[in-house]
Amino acid sequence: MPLWLLFTLAFIVLIATTLGAIWYTTFTLLYPLIPPSAYVPVTEGATLLDAFMLLVVLILFVILGRLTALPLRRLNRAVNAFASRGERIPIVIPSFAPSEIRTLMRSFVDLVGSVETAHKKDVETSRVKSDFITTAAHQLRTPLTGVRWALEALENSELTEDQRGLVKNATDKSHELVAIVGTLLDISAIESGKYKYTFEQVDVNALTAEVANDFDAPAAERGLVLVFTPTAAVPFVRCDRERVKWVLSNLVDNAIRYTPSGGRITLGVTYGAERVFITVRDMGIGISAKDSANIFERFFRAGNAVAKENEGNGLGLYIARTIATDHGGDLRFSANTDGPGTTFTLSLPTGGPATTV
Amino acid sequence: MLPTTTFILVVEDDPVLKNLLGHTFASKYQTLYASNGTEALELFEANKPALVLLDLILPGMSGFEILETIRKRTDAQKDTPIIIVSNLGQDSDKEKAKALGANDYLVKAENSIEEIVSRMEALLPK
Repeated sequence: MPLWLLFTLAFIVLIATTLGAIWYTTFTLLYPLIPPSAYVPVTEGATLLDAFMLLVVLILFVILGRLTALPLRRLNRAVNAFASRGERIPIVIPSFAPSEIRTLMRSFVDLVGSVETAHKKDVETSRVKSDFITTAAHQLRTPLTGVRWALEALENSELTEDQRGLVKNATDKSHELVAIVGTLLDISAIESGKYKYTFEQVDVNALTAEVANDFDAPAAERGLVLVFTPTAAVPFVRCDRERVKWVLSNLVDNAIRYTPSGGRITLGVTYGAERVFITVRDMGIGISAKDSANIFERFFRAGNAVAKENEGNGLGLYIARTIATDHGGDLRFSANTDGPGTTFTLSLPTGGPATTV
Repeated sequence: MLPTTTFILVVEDDPVLKNLLGHTFASKYQTLYASNGTEALELFEANKPALVLLDLILPGMSGFEILETIRKRTDAQKDTPIIIVSNLGQDSDKEKAKALGANDYLVKAENSIEEIVSRMEALLPK
């Protein structure tokens, strides 16, 4: 039964009862003024009927309220569960509920169904894509292995200076190809959620020092100074040590690539409420406004690298940020305010007592 | 140099890769080659190799199955060092291989033969 009809019925009964009551009161009050010839006696029956009608009105409103409120409450619970957790609570559509509410519930059930179908399709598409990349990459690896091993064997044999140079070029490029295939596999794994993290309590100072140490030589080679001063009392971070180290290495590698000779790269560790921040500051020419929106995109490469060799494949920052967000952290960058260059900040949630330096 | 009676078993189905491995191994090890699981297990049984290099994707029996078969033995050969040398390299593959008892895992394309040799040396009896 539609809601408007229920309300109208209840309202009619209410009006009738009210009119009855008015009629009763008026006649009681006006009794002395009414000429006896016009007097119609108010019977006990009429009074009882009116009281009964009032009761009916009360009951009708209670029923009306419950008929409306109960299914709405149930619907509300289902909507909330679906919206917040994607959980699907089965809804029984009560046949006695007002038709408007029944329609609303049916629409919601249909909506949940189509959202789930779309989501399943999405997941399937992404799985197919990821499977394809995985298979293609593995297929590429076998011939690549042959090329690589053969070239390396050739490099170790008797060659003229000229030949050695050529073979080295080919070997280097074969290594680059191997790295690209590896990165593609990483991305496919990361996007399909197959990237497995091994979380442990990590001393960020020690980890950053390790990365700084690894890059001392490459930085010096390009005429750069790499500085890291640990900060005292930094809380432990719960993270995948290898993966976070990879992210930092990638940031430092970029910093080296974009900073002109004579520059300085500064690594730092700070912490705030429930977050540890690792900063990598370079003295490059900065990221242009045009590029800044894209640097975390796949295959994006800023056109202003100082070192043109080993430009990278434009996947590093994308993977780095994905690793950061997978940790519940983030990766951001900002232009240095007190000099040229950019500072990248990796933030990670803390997960333990402070370290002692 | 190993005594001539000790063997390395290389399970690899790609003839070119087999040839390239042989190119480096020839001066260092007595090497046996198998292209599939049946061959591999027969050679393993007959020659008691000191170490096995094992590919995972093979015709018929997979490397995982070969690894499992060897680790299920009851004799001393069950503990023969096994290095997975495969182009499968997902975390799940590495975990599975480790769980089945592989001593090491190398992704072929990402390592030079010299790297493979140094990992072998680490596992071979001195």
